[in-house]
Amino acid sequence: MTIKIVINSVQRTFDVQPDEVLLDVLRREGYLEVKGSCHAGDCGACTILLDGRPVASCLTLAAKADGHSLTTVRGIGDQAHPNVIQDAFVKNGAVQCGYCIPGAIVSAKALLDENINPTEDEIRLAMDSNYCRCTGYEQQLEAVLSAAEQLREDGTGKVSKK
Amino acid sequence: MGRIHEYYHATCLEDAFAKARELGSAAAYVGGGIELVLRRNAEVTTLIDLSQCGLDYVKATPTGIEIGSQTTLTNLSRSSDLQQFAGGSLAYWAGRIAHNNVRDMITIGGVIGRNQPWNDVVPHLVALGAQVLLYDGAERSMLLADYIEAKQAGAIIKSVLLPSENAGASGFMWRFTRTEQDISTLHFSSLIHTDGETVSSANLVFAGRPGHAALYPQLSQELVGKALSHTTFAKLAERAPAVVEVGSDLRATEEYRRELVHAAIVYLEEHMTGVTQ
Repeated sequence: MTIKIVINSVQRTFDVQPDEVLLDVLRREGYLEVKGSCHAGDCGACTILLDGRPVASCLTLAAKADGHSLTTVRGIGDQAHPNVIQDAFVKNGAVQCGYCIPGAIVSAKALLDENINPTEDEIRLAMDSNYCRCTGYEQQLEAVLSAAEQLREDGTGKVSKK
Repeated sequence: MGRIHEYYHATCLEDAFAKARELGSAAAYVGGGIELVLRRNAEVTTLIDLSQCGLDYVKATPTGIEIGSQTTLTNLSRSSDLQQFAGGSLAYWAGRIAHNNVRDMITIGGVIGRNQPWNDVVPHLVALGAQVLLYDGAERSMLLADYIEAKQAGAIIKSVLLPSENAGASGFMWRFTRTEQDISTLHFSSLIHTDGETVSSANLVFAGRPGHAALYPQLSQELVGKALSHTTFAKLAERAPAVVEVGSDLRATEEYRRELVHAAIVYLEEHMTGVTQ
C-alpha cells in the first residue's frame, strides 16, 4: 500500500506493507537518526513526533500514520543548526554514547512546545520512556531546565530551529 | 504479523462493521495498534482502522461523560471534564501509567478490547461504574464489568460512558509496581460514595493478580453503612486478603499479593480519611 507522510516538513510517499512499523520504514528510507533498540516501546530510543506528540515508532503502524506529519530529531535541528535543546544537552554533559539522545530530544521538544516553564517532575514524566544507560538522568534534566530557561529569555515560547 | 495483506481505513462505524462482518475472525479493529504489533495473531489478515470514524472525543452529556473509543490516554488526562469526575482519578492516572511515548497511542477502546491482565485503565473504569456503548449494526450499551466477562465478538466499542451519578464520588487507584512504568503486580481501584461520614456505596476492584479486573460486590458491600473510620477500614484490611483471588507467577507469590491487598486497603483508608496509617 502507498502512504503519504510529511516528514520534517517534506512531503514523502512510500510503499509499505500493511503491518510495517514506522521505525522500519523510516530507517529503510534513510532516516537513520531514528534509532531502534527494544522494539517493544520500552526504551524510547525510536521516539518521533507524530502531529507534534511523542510516539514510539517501533509500535506505530506506518499505515496508521498515513496523511499525518512526523518530526525526527533531524527536523528539530542538526549539527550545523542545533536547536536550543540540543545545545543544552551538549553544554550540560547530557550526551555520551548518544544512542538514546534522538528520542530524548524529541520527548523534550514535545514538552517544551507546550510548556516552557516545566517543573522537574513534569520533565521526568514527559521523558519517562527515554532510557539512558551512560549519562544518567540528572544531566538531561538539567539540560531541559536550561533549554526552558533559554526559551523564556528568548521570549519565543516556541522550540524552533535557531 | 506478516500475513496482514490489507489495512482498511473505515470512514464510519457502519463501514467498519460491514467490513468486519464480511471478514469475520480474519479482521481486527485498530485502536492504538500497539497490541497488534506486539502480539500478532496469525489468523488476522486485515486491520480495520477506526481513526476516521470520529471517535476521538470527551464530552459531557446529560447522562454522564462520554469518551470516544479512539481517545488516547493523553487526551483523557487533559480533559477538564475528567479532571473533575470522581476527584479526577482517571485523568490523573491516564497521564502517568505506561510511557510518555505510548500515552499518545493507547486508546481507551483499545485497552478495553484487548483487556490484558496487566492493564490499569480497565479496572479503574470498572470501579467508576463505566458503561460501554457498542455498535454491531445497532447501538446498545452494557456495563463494562459485564462486557469484560462476556466479550461481544465483532462489536465495535464506540464509546465509554461514566455515569453522572458517580461524578461526585471519590475515585481511588493504587498500583504496586517495581518501577513507575512497570505493569502492576497488584492493582486496586475503588469508587466510594459517602453520605456525610458514612459510606453509602462502594465499588472495590482488584486486578493484576495475575488475571483480569474483577469487581468484588460482597467485599464492597461490607463498607456500606459504615463510618469513615479506622475501625471500618482496619476490619476491611483484615478481611480482604482472604477474599480477593490472587495467584503466584514470576512477579510475585500468592502470599506476597495477599500482603499487597492488605496494603491497598490501608492506602484507601488514607485516601478516604486523610489520616496516614
